[in-house]
Amino acid sequence: MPYFENSEKLQEVLGGFFRMLLDDPSIGQKLKESKLVIKFNYADPNLSITIDCSKDPIPLTFNDSATKPEVEMNMKADTAHRFWFGKVNLLAALTRREMVAKGPIPKVLKLLPVIKPAYDLYPKYLEQNGYQNLLI
Amino acid sequence: MVPDFFQFYFPTKVLFQAGLSRDFSNELSLLGVSRMLVITDSHLLKSGMIEPIVEGLKLGGVEKTVLFSDVPPNSELTAVKKACEKGMEIEAEGILAVGGGSVMDTAKAADILLTLGGDLVQDYSGAHTLTSPLKPLIAVPTTAGTGSEVTQVAVILDESNGVKLSFLDRYLYPTIAILDPELTLSMPPKLTAMTGMDALTHAIEASTSLEANPYSDAFSMKAIRMIKDHLAKAVQTGSDLKARSNMLVASNLAGVAFDHAMVGVVHSMSHSVGAVAHVPHGMANSILLPWGMEYNFDVAKERYSDVGKRLGVKTQGMAVDEAARAAIEEVRALRAELKRACGLPDRLGEAGVKESDLPKIAQLSVEDGSSFYNPREVVEAEVLETLKRAY
Repeated sequence: MPYFENSEKLQEVLGGFFRMLLDDPSIGQKLKESKLVIKFNYADPNLSITIDCSKDPIPLTFNDSATKPEVEMNMKADTAHRFWFGKVNLLAALTRREMVAKGPIPKVLKLLPVIKPAYDLYPKYLEQNGYQNLLI
Repeated sequence: MVPDFFQFYFPTKVLFQAGLSRDFSNELSLLGVSRMLVITDSHLLKSGMIEPIVEGLKLGGVEKTVLFSDVPPNSELTAVKKACEKGMEIEAEGILAVGGGSVMDTAKAADILLTLGGDLVQDYSGAHTLTSPLKPLIAVPTTAGTGSEVTQVAVILDESNGVKLSFLDRYLYPTIAILDPELTLSMPPKLTAMTGMDALTHAIEASTSLEANPYSDAFSMKAIRMIKDHLAKAVQTGSDLKARSNMLVASNLAGVAFDHAMVGVVHSMSHSVGAVAHVPHGMANSILLPWGMEYNFDVAKERYSDVGKRLGVKTQGMAVDEAARAAIEEVRALRAELKRACGLPDRLGEAGVKESDLPKIAQLSVEDGSSFYNPREVVEAEVLETLKRAY
C-alpha cells in the first residue's frame, strides 16, 4: 500500500515540506547558493517537483515541462518518503536503481551535507501538519 | 560489525603476471573482439610501452586496431569524443585502455558513446543511467594507483563550462583488468610515492567510511599491509619487481575497497586542494591523510587500531587510543621516509598552497560529496583548523 494515496496528496505533503526547506534560513540559503535546477520525478503516484535555485525567490513548480533541469532524480514516491526520514542509503538506492540520477552528480553530492539536517525536520513537519499517519 | 544492509558486486576479471600485457590471448579470444580501439596517452606512446601490447593483441584474435593517444592529464569531454570517433573509424568492437586514471576514465566514457551513441552529457551523465552492457573494456593500469581498473565510475571535465561530470554505473566496470607490474617499473620515484599514497588513502578511508562492510574491509586491510611493506622500497628502488608487483596489486585491492565503501574527509580536502591550488591528487592525499585521521579520531579509533596492526604497530596490550595514535604516527613515518627518498612534500605550503587559499578549501571540502560518507560530520571551521595544521 503506497504511503500517498494520490498525486494531490503527494504534492500537498512533499511540496509543503520542500517549501519549508526553501524558507529555512540555513538550508534555503545554501540551496540558493548552489544555483542548481533540480527536478524530482516521482512514480506511484506520479508527480514531478522542480526546484529552480538559480532564481530568487526560488520557485517550486509541479509537473513543469518548461523549466529545463540540470539534474533529474527519478524514484517511487515511497522511496522519496523514506529518504526524507534518513532511511534510504543513497549509494544502495542508486546502485539498485531505486533512484536514478541524471545530470552532474557532483552538484547533487555537494547538496547532501546541506540537506542532512532535513532528516530531523521531516518527521516534525509531518506531525505539525497533521500527517501523523505518514510517520514511519 | 555487520551493517543493516550492504552490497558487493565485482564483475571485473583481474589477472596478474609480469609481462601479461603482451599476451593475454586466452582471455582476449573469449571476448570475440576483432577490431580494437586502443586508448593511451602520448607519454606512454613515446616510451615504447604501447607497441608490444598492441602487437600482442593479434594473438587473441584482434585483426585491426586504431590508436587514440591524446588523453590529457585530466579526462576531458573533447578527448572522449575524439576517442570515440577513432573507434568508429574501424567499427571497434572493444576498447583497450593502457595508462593511469585519466586514460581509464576517458576509455569508460568513450565506451558509452561507442556502444550507445547519443549525447554523453545529456543522455548518460549521472548515476546508473545506462540500461544495457557496453562493449568489452580491457583496463591495463600503468600506475599503482588510482584503482580505476576496478571501479564503476568515470569523471570527465566538460571544458566548455568547467563542470565535472560523473558517470557512475555497474556497466562501467572494465571486463578485464590486466595487472602487469613491468609496466610500472619506469614510474619515477615521486610519481610512485604519490600514487602509492593515493592507494593507501583509498584503503584507510574505505575502512572508516559509513559504507564500510566486511567485504570492503577485507580488501582495504590487505591493501594497507601490502602498501606499508612495499611502497618505500618501490620508491627507493624502482627496478624492484617484487615491490612494484605488491604495489600494483595493493592499489587494485584499495580500488575495490573504495569503489564499494567510498571515501571521506581526506578526499574532501584533497579534491578541494586540487581545485584551488592544483596540487596533484596523490600528493594532496599524502599530505592530508594523517590530518584526516586526526579529524576522525574520536569516532574511528577502534578502526584505526585495526589499521595500526596492518601498518606494523605492535598493538597487543595497547589501549585503543594508544594504538590508534600509533597508527597515525606510522602513516607520518611512512610519509617522512618517502620525503627523504624522493622529496614528496608533507606540508600544504610546500606543495604550493597559499595560506590565503585555506578558507576557500575548507568551504569546498564541506560541499564535496565525499564528506557525506565520512564517519564524522565535516564542519567548515574544524576543517579550516585541520588545514592550518597541515599547512
